[in-house]
Amino acid sequence: MFKNYLKIAFRNLWKHKSFTLINITGMGIAFTATILLAMTAMNELTFDSFNKNKNSLYQLYIETHRPNNTETNSTMPVPLTPALKAEFPDIVHISRYGSIGGSTIRYNGKEFSKLIRTTDADFLRMFTYPLISGNKETALNNKSDIVISQKSAEAIFGKEYPVGKTLNIKIHDEWKDYTVSGVMEDAPLNSSITFDMITRFENFPNYEPYADNWSSSTHDVYIQLNTGVTQAAFEKKLINFIHKYYKDDLEQLKKDGGRPDADGELLRLKLIPITDLHFSPILNTGGVSRFYAYLLLLIGAFILFIASVNFVNLSLGRTFTRAREIGMRKVMGAGRRQILLQFWGESFVICLFSLLMGMLLARLLLPYYKTNFYQAFSTDILRSPQLIIIFAAGFLLVSILAGGYPAWIMSALNTSQTVKGKITTGKNHRLRNSLMVVQFVLSGLLIICTSIVWQQLNYMRTKPLGYNKEQIISIPIGNNIGQERALELMRVQLAKVPNVLSVTGTDINLGRGRDGSTSNSVIGFQYKGKTVKTNWLRVDYDYISTLGLTLLQGRDFSRDFGTDSGVVIINEAMAAEIGEKNPLDANLDLDGSHLQVAGVVKNYHFKSLHKEITPLTMCIRKNWTLSYIFVKVKPENLPASMDAVNKVWHTVNPKAESQISFLDENTEKQYRKEERISKIFISGAVLAILISCMGLFAIVVLVIMQRTKEIGIRKVLGASVLNITTLISKDFIGLILIALTIATPIAWWAMNKWLQDFAYRIHISAWIFLLAGGIALLIALVTICIQTIRAAIANPVKSLKSE
Amino acid sequence: MIQLEKIFKWVNAGNNRTFLLKDINLTINEGEFVSVMGPSGSGKSTLLNIIGMLDEPSEGSYHFLGNDVYKMKEKQRSQLYKENIGFVFQAYHLIDELTVYENIETPLLYQNIKSSERQAIVADMLDRFNIVGKKDLFPSQLSGGQQQLVGVARALIAKPKLLLADEPTGNLNSKQGEEIMELFRQLNQESGTTIIQVTHSEKNAEYGQRIIHLLDGRIEK
Repeated sequence: MFKNYLKIAFRNLWKHKSFTLINITGMGIAFTATILLAMTAMNELTFDSFNKNKNSLYQLYIETHRPNNTETNSTMPVPLTPALKAEFPDIVHISRYGSIGGSTIRYNGKEFSKLIRTTDADFLRMFTYPLISGNKETALNNKSDIVISQKSAEAIFGKEYPVGKTLNIKIHDEWKDYTVSGVMEDAPLNSSITFDMITRFENFPNYEPYADNWSSSTHDVYIQLNTGVTQAAFEKKLINFIHKYYKDDLEQLKKDGGRPDADGELLRLKLIPITDLHFSPILNTGGVSRFYAYLLLLIGAFILFIASVNFVNLSLGRTFTRAREIGMRKVMGAGRRQILLQFWGESFVICLFSLLMGMLLARLLLPYYKTNFYQAFSTDILRSPQLIIIFAAGFLLVSILAGGYPAWIMSALNTSQTVKGKITTGKNHRLRNSLMVVQFVLSGLLIICTSIVWQQLNYMRTKPLGYNKEQIISIPIGNNIGQERALELMRVQLAKVPNVLSVTGTDINLGRGRDGSTSNSVIGFQYKGKTVKTNWLRVDYDYISTLGLTLLQGRDFSRDFGTDSGVVIINEAMAAEIGEKNPLDANLDLDGSHLQVAGVVKNYHFKSLHKEITPLTMCIRKNWTLSYIFVKVKPENLPASMDAVNKVWHTVNPKAESQISFLDENTEKQYRKEERISKIFISGAVLAILISCMGLFAIVVLVIMQRTKEIGIRKVLGASVLNITTLISKDFIGLILIALTIATPIAWWAMNKWLQDFAYRIHISAWIFLLAGGIALLIALVTICIQTIRAAIANPVKSLKSE
Repeated sequence: MIQLEKIFKWVNAGNNRTFLLKDINLTINEGEFVSVMGPSGSGKSTLLNIIGMLDEPSEGSYHFLGNDVYKMKEKQRSQLYKENIGFVFQAYHLIDELTVYENIETPLLYQNIKSSERQAIVADMLDRFNIVGKKDLFPSQLSGGQQQLVGVARALIAKPKLLLADEPTGNLNSKQGEEIMELFRQLNQESGTTIIQVTHSEKNAEYGQRIIHLLDGRIEK
């Protein structure tokens, strides 16, 4: 029986090739998009959940309730971990986690640069990073033990067996030998914790001097609780711990007038479940909100829905033309169930083909997708049972709805009438029309959102930041050269290059350079009895003139004052924060000295436009290491200047690893997330409108087929081509207008919410909606007209004969 | 076999009630060959559809093989219908997407008959109607007379006790029409199949043993 259904299905599909093609292509493309988006979303949502102990693993953070705000920080002092372990039997495992960043490794005369993390021995026991060789219980027993990732093992040792070999590693300017005690699998791509090598925490820079220092926070801490202990219960227990070990901080907070939390506490030690790590805004890694993952799923669902609507509408339309067949089958004794099954069979075949096409396309597009949208991505996700269930369910639902629903309606109609082909289709237009409205609401939404995202992105790119970003080249110095020395050498060498205007140094880059790192340095201090917080920036001579900042008051740093390390220059926001009438009178107790304010600069955007401009203090103090050199070049022929500077830099530091870049490139990189969203939105919108119009096209074809006779009669009676085009189009145009009316407020609300993420943002103006609506309408109109005009200019004699 | 009592069928158009059938009382016995005649709009097809359970009257009762049709459950009625009634149409109504063989086979599919058995029955039927050579053709490849032959074969495949024909020769030329009528007579006499046909042609009506004349929804005489 089923074979028979399938056979009929194939023949039917073959006979109506154009409809089949529209259905399969539309659904296929939709499946492709949905598969890729769902994979991305699942990858995001399952971050860190490969850990077997994921339900009992947490990262610690400290929550400080200040008078005006609540601050969170995930870095911890060194002695905290042993103290916690001693006090709480609920803690099964606990490990400090210190990042060293790029370190130089020597083996057999070759040098490598690898990310080294320092942890306690528990680290390997609590997280699921299995060892390929070595024993995870003992691998970090000795201070000189080091566990390396499979990738690093291959890079360093090639085919040699690594365990037991000795590596010479430079950590914090000190070369020491380490013994490889194990090789671990590379961390999955959706792991928040990344590493090339892991060694004991005792090797962390400044471990010994800080071993009993509670006031200096340097590293993260992860814990694994007993399975019976809840997060909330354990956080409650930690209150007493804070009271015991953080007495001084608590007193200071009380003096400052900190506002206690719901439990009456000023300082809390709290936990983030490991599965929330990726999304948590608490960490300085800057959480990506789960919202974006759900947004991807939503857009995927939108596209699939739009394609399904096409499918349902086309099947519905075609079923009515197949009324006679259904009637005839009933005459031959078919039950309702059998007719439903037959039609479901047809839609099942279409869905199946679409799914296959979708999977194939997704497979082919994957490399392109990875380079343009989302890199960190493994196809293992496809094996996740959740995803498979979601897809199977969606697949069945679509095929049942598309095939079953029209057949269900048809099979309920009076048999003697359907056999004669006498059926009224009027009622069912309501369903078709509502589905089309929903379809165009979704397309409209995507188009409007796309234009707003694009506008905001453009705004951020072009907004003046208060400094010159076009002419400045940023050079990441790296660890393999003395930083102060590098700057000095560069100053001397670049003086000979004619295009170079000035050279300076700093410890924090502007934007995000090719080295990919960002950092943030905030210092809190007491000023006239109140706590003031400021961003802290190490600069060098000529910083202000190189960047083109405007000095409002006072003077720039100058070599005339020797090292000039006794003064700072602040921005307007900082001047407002300290609240002096003449900020140049202020003396700040900072960094262990009294620092005189020497100048005030106009506010500039030293952070991304997501954030308001906050207080900033600049100094030239050698205890803060330089990390970047800024070189200002003449505006003419920038690529040539870039080459020249690069050449000089490589003579100064032949081992330089990171590439140099212009600051405007760096600032663009800050908006990568937004750029990604806009790309996804644009693709989503294009697909949505394309698929919607494919459906519209097919529906118009159907309607014209059904109204051929009417069109013929009207023409005989004297209707013009325009009359007829209007007659057919006006219903559809009406639907699209309704859809756009619905989409507008939703889009406005959603985009307004999204824009709240940015301290500096555009205003949504009405013309965006008009433009987006106009585009949607125009595309739809063109689609409709192609067909109607053809029908309208056809010879009426022919169309009348066909009845 | 068939007892119709006080059958009325009407449709409401605005405030007017138009009667398609008025007070039809009719008994047809097993083995009869009945022709129904009457001008256009006299209710011939409506009557046939009611007998064939494709349509229901507005009022009245219908007994088929001793079963009160309108008191039966949908499922039982459908079963009764499937096993006992075959239909032939003026416009053949073959399914365009199916071959001759498959068209004839379809009613058996809906009765869940096993594949091997189906093959035997269909082969038999093709043989009997001399259309073995055409079994893999599609309806559009056949002449009208051949299509109607397939239509009759399809109607008979499940061995119904009652064959209903709605102007079976209406779209055929006289020679083809004669062949179909001869076939009907043969069926009636040799297999004892009860036949009710609607026709416009006096000549074809003569093939029946009894002629019922309808006028404005009433049986004349």
